[in-house]
Amino acid sequence: MSDIIQNLKDSFGSYGFSSWQALVSLLFVVVVIVIIAKYRKDIFELSTRSIVAVGIGAALYAAISFIAIPIGPNTSFRIAIALLTIFGALFGPVVGFLVGFIGHALNDAMAWGSVWWSWVFLSAILGLFAGFVKVDKKFNPLKGLLEKKHIVQMYLFAFMSIFAASLVAYAGDVFLYGEPAGKVWLQIIIASFSNFGVIAVVGIPAVIVLANMNKSKQNLVEEE
Amino acid sequence: MSRSGSLYIERPSIIHRLDGSTKLLLLIGWTAFIFMFMDIRIFSIMIVLGFSLLKVSKIPWKSIKPLTYFVVAFSLINSLILLLVTPQYGSELSGSYTKLISYFGGAITLETVWYAVTLSFKYVSILPITLLFVFTTHPSRFASSLNRIGVSYKVAYAVSIAFRYIPDVKEEMMNIMHAQEARGVAFRKGDASLVKRLRNFVTILVPLLISSLNRIEVVSNALQLRGFGYEKKRTWYNRRPLTINDGISILLMTGLIGLGIYLKSQLTYFWLFY
Repeated sequence: MSDIIQNLKDSFGSYGFSSWQALVSLLFVVVVIVIIAKYRKDIFELSTRSIVAVGIGAALYAAISFIAIPIGPNTSFRIAIALLTIFGALFGPVVGFLVGFIGHALNDAMAWGSVWWSWVFLSAILGLFAGFVKVDKKFNPLKGLLEKKHIVQMYLFAFMSIFAASLVAYAGDVFLYGEPAGKVWLQIIIASFSNFGVIAVVGIPAVIVLANMNKSKQNLVEEE
Repeated sequence: MSRSGSLYIERPSIIHRLDGSTKLLLLIGWTAFIFMFMDIRIFSIMIVLGFSLLKVSKIPWKSIKPLTYFVVAFSLINSLILLLVTPQYGSELSGSYTKLISYFGGAITLETVWYAVTLSFKYVSILPITLLFVFTTHPSRFASSLNRIGVSYKVAYAVSIAFRYIPDVKEEMMNIMHAQEARGVAFRKGDASLVKRLRNFVTILVPLLISSLNRIEVVSNALQLRGFGYEKKRTWYNRRPLTINDGISILLMTGLIGLGIYLKSQLTYFWLFY
C-alpha cells in the first residue's frame, strides 16, 4: 500500500501536491453513499416530483447565479449556493447533486460560453452533502418535521461538504486544467469561506423558516 | 418550445444537422483531448480548427463576440494572478530558471510567463467547441440526445425542464425584486451599503422559493397525470435518426483521442519555446 502511495506521490510530485488526499476524500464520499444506499434505498430513487424539483431547482440556480459579487481572482460570492442547501434538504442528496451539476453547467454555458467542469462538481458536491440530512425519516421540512438535532446535522454536513468539494475542485483544476496549486488554493479558500457563509447564514435558516411555515399549515397527524 | 433560456440560433449548416448526442460526444472528446496537454502548439491548432468549425456553422460573430471576449479577459486576469501568487511555477515544471523581473520578494521567471500564456491558450481552445454545442443544439433535442448517450431519460427531462423554466424564474425574480423595491428595500448600488444590499437579496430568496415549490407541485402533477415515469423507456418526439455525418464525426473524434494518447507519450508535458 505504501508503495502505491509513494508511486502516486512521485507521479504527481511536480505539482507540489499528493493525489492521495484527493483519492482519500473521493473514497470517503463513496463510502458514505454506499452506507446510505444500504439503509435508505428509496433516497436514490427519482420520483416524478424530484425530477421536476431538479429541473426547477437548476433553473433557479442558473438564474440566481447572475447575482455574483467578485471577491477574489475569478472567484465570486454567490447567493445561489444557498439553493443547494435548500433543495438538498427538501428533496434529498440526488436532487441536491443534480441541481448543483445541471444548474452550474447551464449557468456557465449560457453566461460565459465555457463550462468550468471542476467547479461544476464543487456545486454538485455541496448539494449532495446538503441532502444527507434527509436520510433521517424524521426530517421533512415540507411537512414541517424538523428537530434541533437536524439543524446541528445540517451545519455538520455543510462543514464536511466544504472540504469534500474543495478537494474535488482542487484536483480538477490542478490535474485537468493545469493550474498552479498555490493559486488554486487561494481561490478555493476564498470560495470556501464565502460558500460556508452563504450556507450558514442564508441556506440553513431558510430551511428552518420553510419547515416552521409548513408546521403551522399541518394540523393532521400521520398514524403509524 | 417557444420560450427557452438557451442560446440556440437556427442556421442551415452541416453542424446544425448533426445529432445533439454527436455534438455532446465531440464536446466531451475535445475537452478530454485538451486536458491531456500543456503545449501551446496543440492549443493553437485546436483554436484555428475550432473557430473554423464555428465559421462553418454560420453562427454570427456578433453573438459569439461577448463570450469570446469574456474568456480572453478571464484568462488575462487569471494569468496576472498566477504570476503574482506563483511567480516560479513554470520554472518548477520545466526545471530551468530565467529571471525576467526581480522584486524584493522573489522573481518572475520567463518560464512562468510562458506558462501563463500557454494556460490562456488552453482556456481559449476549449471555448469554440462549447460555443458550437451551445449555439447549434436545440434545447428540446438536447434532452433526447442526452438520453441517447446513456443518461436516464428522467435526468435528461430534468435538463429540459431547467431550460424551459430559466426565463420564467428570471421573470419571477424581477417581479419580486420590483415588489420589494416598491416597499423600500435597496438593491441598487448607492442605495445602501454592500453588506446591506447583500442581506436584502435574501428577501427575494424566500418568496422565490415558495413560488418555485408551488410550481414544482403543479408541474409534477401535470407530468404524473400524463403518466411520466411509468415506463422504463420513452420515445422522443424530437429524436431524429443518426446520419452518415454523425458516424464520420464520431470516427474523427476517436481518431483525435487516439492521436492525443500517442502524442502524450511522445511529448513532454510542458513545452517551452526554446
